[in-house]
Amino acid sequence: MPDFWRRLGAPIAFGVLALLTTITMVSDRRAIREDAADLPWWQGVVLEIAIPVQKVLLAPVDAVRGAWSRYVDLVSVGEHNDALERRIAELEEANLQYREALVASGNLQRIAAMRDDFEVAMLPSEVVGLDVSPWFRSVLVDRGRDHGVRSGSPVITDQGVVGLVTATSQHAARTMLLLDRQSAIDGIVQRSRARGIVRGRGTGELEFEFVVRGSDVRQGDIVITSGMGGVYPKGLRIGVVRSISDPGGMLLQTAVLASAVDFGRLEQVFVMLHRGPTMELLYGSAGDAGRDPEPEPPAGEPQPGSQREIPTGPTETASAPTESPAS
Amino acid sequence: MKQAVILFAAGLVALIAQSALAVLVPHPFCPDLGLLVVVAIGLFWEPLPSGFALAAGLGYATDVLSGSLLGQHGLLRLLSFAAARLGGRQLNLRGPLPLAVFAAGLSVIYAVALQGGLGSFTGSASEVAASIGRVGGHALVNAIAAPFVALGVERLCSWSSDDDAARRALRLDARSAR
Repeated sequence: MPDFWRRLGAPIAFGVLALLTTITMVSDRRAIREDAADLPWWQGVVLEIAIPVQKVLLAPVDAVRGAWSRYVDLVSVGEHNDALERRIAELEEANLQYREALVASGNLQRIAAMRDDFEVAMLPSEVVGLDVSPWFRSVLVDRGRDHGVRSGSPVITDQGVVGLVTATSQHAARTMLLLDRQSAIDGIVQRSRARGIVRGRGTGELEFEFVVRGSDVRQGDIVITSGMGGVYPKGLRIGVVRSISDPGGMLLQTAVLASAVDFGRLEQVFVMLHRGPTMELLYGSAGDAGRDPEPEPPAGEPQPGSQREIPTGPTETASAPTESPAS
Repeated sequence: MKQAVILFAAGLVALIAQSALAVLVPHPFCPDLGLLVVVAIGLFWEPLPSGFALAAGLGYATDVLSGSLLGQHGLLRLLSFAAARLGGRQLNLRGPLPLAVFAAGLSVIYAVALQGGLGSFTGSASEVAASIGRVGGHALVNAIAAPFVALGVERLCSWSSDDDAARRALRLDARSAR
């Protein structure tokens, strides 16, 4: 027996392992579902080990970066502050107008009663590591199952959609970014309501395939989530149309989008702990299709504790068909 | 056994360090430390069956920390280990230059296989072809890092085997003293 193993052990081990890896690869279903299972324990252990080690490795870098941005690189802070103050004043004015409009239409009481439904619980999380393979686009965040994060939870920033949680352990979660080639979201152009699928290209850009060839899509248009598919709430920013390809003889027309989120500087994100309803109920009768995205709806007040609640996006009226969360 | 555990732990640390490094360095210019550790194990680790198991185990760990299909890196790391072992027998890969050339070539093949595998699942062959164009810089970075990683793994192998050998000798001494 030892002689047999010495002669054939290596080929047998290779064959068994090659078969095992092939079987797991083929059977691995990465389709994101609401009831997607969490990682098995042995995979969870790897994530659990990775998070604290990565935090330790990044701590000195964060310290230097923080010291630089807070104490040294303050050249444009004054201008930035002025711009922010102007912006706050504009938003306060818009907020006031919205409140006036709501009171006038008698909807305020109804809205107040539905407050809990319109606000979505957000869990602030920190990005502690990127994908170990340069050919995939995902990040590790330092919040997991124990914090209420589940597979399928949308991840956003104040700029827009980041991606989707694809695997969780107790204290960590892996998030597939919009940029990943396996990612696909149903989106609509905010101005014209043209509908299509936004796909990751594996690079820093996104691809937007319109369903209808003659859709009204222009450079600079903002693309938002349509809310179909049950994963992302309606109205989250996905990106801005950078260029539109010539359809030629093709049935589908495509555009290249610049993502709304700066993925190169992704540090803090929010995990949506449950999917919120569309903002359409709130602003459904406003009849604002085709108008510019500004001003945005008023932001919700942050709640005490680690979780924050903020409304999910700009106003929308027309409904759009299906969303495919990810392939 | 202890040596295998140490090497696996080293591979895991390399993966985690790579993931943290990717936050700071643009993706194509971040060395694939996990792959380079597997190549080095292929060159310096003697028992083949446990070497295959080590490579596949580290590949699975990579899959957990990556957005790839589970087993995709596992299979490719297994093949990379086999390629390094075969290459080490046919060529002298212990020198820095041949190892760098080998690592660069393997990085290109690895990227093509990985993208091809993903393309067969997502059906986006044109995107695969476009992204393969970015592999050159990554292969170059891997070529530069490979000799250093190999040196580290070689030292780790010799340190852990010395440790094992010393314990065995001590045990023998103790028995003979009785």
